[in-house]
Amino acid sequence: MTNNAVIAGIGHTDFGKLPERTAFGLQAEAARRAIEDAGLIPGDVDGLITDPGPAQGILDGITPHYLALGQYLGLDPAYVGSDILGGTSSVAIIQRAMLAIEAGLCSVCLCVYGDSALSTPGSYSYGRGDDAAFGLFGAVGMHALAAQRHRHKWGTRPEQLAEVALAARAHAAQTPHAQNKRPLTLDGYMAAKYIVEPLRAPDCCLMSDGAAAVVVTAADRTADLRQPPTRILGHGQASSLSTWASPDHFDTLPAARCGPQALARAGLTPDGIDLVMLYDCFTIVVLMQLEDYGFCKKGEAGAFVEGGRIGPSGSLPVNTSGGLLAEGYGGGMMHVIEAIRQLRGTADKRQIKDAETALISGHGLGMNTHATLVLGKSG
Amino acid sequence: MNTNSQSTYPLPQPTSFTKAFWDACQDKVLTVYACNDCGHLFLPGGPVCPQCWSSGLVSQPVSGRGTVYSFVIYQRTYHPAIPAPYVVALIALEEGPRLISNIINCASGNIVIDMPVRVMFETEDGFMLPRFEPFNPDQRNEG
Repeated sequence: MTNNAVIAGIGHTDFGKLPERTAFGLQAEAARRAIEDAGLIPGDVDGLITDPGPAQGILDGITPHYLALGQYLGLDPAYVGSDILGGTSSVAIIQRAMLAIEAGLCSVCLCVYGDSALSTPGSYSYGRGDDAAFGLFGAVGMHALAAQRHRHKWGTRPEQLAEVALAARAHAAQTPHAQNKRPLTLDGYMAAKYIVEPLRAPDCCLMSDGAAAVVVTAADRTADLRQPPTRILGHGQASSLSTWASPDHFDTLPAARCGPQALARAGLTPDGIDLVMLYDCFTIVVLMQLEDYGFCKKGEAGAFVEGGRIGPSGSLPVNTSGGLLAEGYGGGMMHVIEAIRQLRGTADKRQIKDAETALISGHGLGMNTHATLVLGKSG
Repeated sequence: MNTNSQSTYPLPQPTSFTKAFWDACQDKVLTVYACNDCGHLFLPGGPVCPQCWSSGLVSQPVSGRGTVYSFVIYQRTYHPAIPAPYVVALIALEEGPRLISNIINCASGNIVIDMPVRVMFETEDGFMLPRFEPFNPDQRNEG
């Protein structure tokens, strides 16, 4: 076995509107649950890496997020950090934890996402610098620009975007902790109001108060763990920081570069992936990732998802717990946790039979950052 | 619920990197940044050329003509000074650089990707912003 870091524990809070809870309180709960799940104690933790959500990593102008959380948790770790790659951060911090463990910098690394975005108005409605003068607000505007291009270049129809939203709700209906379990029909989707045309309200992910954490450990200490360790088979990361100066910024995600990298490290092709967990801040990004990861050809994702293909009874279920669109905004960490539940065989009604491999993506900011994990069942 | 600070138009905040661009807009001239060393044209301004990292940059007027690279229609108001609906577009200038702007003087249902547009200038709170309107390219050599 070439990879010697594994994921040993998972934990999360409720997701939804939790106005009485603080972001730090949520993060601490997720951390406690993840450590308990791993069969470890707080004193075992010698690495802490955080995904601070829209707080962007700096509090009170100077305090890094990991410092504030680490102080509350009473930790004196060997290795620390916060990553601010937007929605990519949760996957990226697990990748970073793995690298730190493999370099011998730490051996039990706690990776935490948590936020109280729903109870903190405006946290995702920011103006994009000087472009706010033209009304470009929120991540939704950037993704709507991509959706418009997809429609123009490939003829992608609203009914095809709807497939992604409908699948998410159908998955969430089988997820006890999901924030939005209300059924969604095609008529309901088509009747929904636009937020930023061509994206309607059901094309946009939820905002949530909630937190999620995983514990990454060295494989050689798995003897004392409570759960079967989840193997990290592959990983990759790629960014497009030049944004729209890059020729194909809105047409191809950095996933087209780091996806093949992660799959090659795992010795797999898309055909060999049993579970697909794609960062789904907006429906259009799911379509683009299906193409850029090679699950279908470029431009064909709209047709590919038709007929419920990525829904609970489809041939390629995507985001089996409902994802950001319906389970709740878990920063991307909940995608990782769902993959691990599936690989452990503990996903209850959602369980995909004989699932042995999972691909999980993180996607962030103005379509600027991307990271990929390929996980494998214990053994 | 609109407070004064919320209803104030969210104007650009020129920096040393972007001042030349916004200053030219106040004179109704659209410019891009040009690298003296490699000739690369780009927006927005920065400390160096993003292609060769030279710091020898100048501001250069452009034709003001371009095409719609993509566009969206905001149906939700995010800022009280910019009520929905309005069109935000990424414009590909004839000279190469792209910029975010608005499309005006055109029903949103008539906007299509690759449609030719040209710059015009409008004032918000006394600050001149470059916006784009449909343009018939057959008129290109007439003036």
